[in-house]
Amino acid sequence: MAYSDKVLDHYNHPRNVGSLDKKDPSVGTGLVGAPECGDVMKLQIKVNPETGVIEDARFKTFGCGSAIASSSLATEMLKGRTVDEALQIKNTEIVNELSLPPVKIHCSVLAEDAIKAAITDYKAKTLDAAPASAQSA
Amino acid sequence: MASHHDCWQCGTPDAGSLFCRYCNSLQAPTPDYYVFLGLPRRLAVDPAILQKQFYAMSRMLHPDRYTRRSEQEKRYSLEASSILNDAYRVLRDPIARAEYVLREAGFEIGEQRSKDVPPELLEEVFELNMALDELRAGDSEVLPQLQESRHNFKLMLARIDSVLEEHFQRHDGQQDVASRRAVLEQIRNVLHRRRYISNLVSEVDKQLSSRNA
Ligand code: FES
Ligand SMILES: [Zn+2]
Repeated sequence: MAYSDKVLDHYNHPRNVGSLDKKDPSVGTGLVGAPECGDVMKLQIKVNPETGVIEDARFKTFGCGSAIASSSLATEMLKGRTVDEALQIKNTEIVNELSLPPVKIHCSVLAEDAIKAAITDYKAKTLDAAPASAQSA
Repeated sequence: MASHHDCWQCGTPDAGSLFCRYCNSLQAPTPDYYVFLGLPRRLAVDPAILQKQFYAMSRMLHPDRYTRRSEQEKRYSLEASSILNDAYRVLRDPIARAEYVLREAGFEIGEQRSKDVPPELLEEVFELNMALDELRAGDSEVLPQLQESRHNFKLMLARIDSVLEEHFQRHDGQQDVASRRAVLEQIRNVLHRRRYISNLVSEVDKQLSSRNA
């Protein structure tokens, strides 16, 4: 297998595997899948509502080594960034960092999509929450 | 399709697709399954008609009939028999048939971004993978859950197949190329979704049967 050392490192020691409470309003969940290979990826972020900074990130990926490494790396990149900074993360950064070959680029795209989906989910929740909490107060 | 050729034997122009209509010698077979079988280019294929045509042509092309013919015809009969078998195998299966028509029409199958998977399906797919993981780790309590997911995905496949059936009819009813292509595009998307689900079902089957083995 032509996996790079960095991919192998993330694959053998994935960072931040697990899940956060989906119902927590400060948690955004992104769930994406790649039909070519059937791989699925779940990525979650926990955001500090005051600062907008991502304080925690978790993932669980069912897929190839590159998809696992991409999502593992993504959780590391996410922590400490603001939500808006996180939106700037491009799959090409993941490709470069992990030295992914062209056939594995879609695995990094999956990770980028997962980040975007998690942020979209978080933003939708904060929008929903605002009027609701005003009502219940 | 290009069935307009001169007979290699007698030189008659526009000889016909399988046998020369003048000297009756076997011609180079066309690789196009529909043209080869003499069927209209429709996605909805009547299995009975297809089968009848297959048997009739198998008899016509049987190697026994060519033992005393020229080398050229022997070779053509072998080629034609293999095309016939491929054509039958592909056209009798609605999925393989649709994929064949799509590929012939220049569609790529298998290029798709992750957004195209419906979110409500993803949830279920993820749960299924979780359960498969637990099963691999030796937890058999997830078995009923797996059986149920398998059942659900099977139902989805059945529903997809009837949707495909409708698309086929609609495709065949279109007169112009552009509208046909539009339907083909929809069919391609349905096929992607179908493949995704059927991969899952076979994965579950594999896990379940490796446990029983
Ligand atoms: S092969 Fe599908 S995500 Fe890597
Ligand atoms: Zn002839």
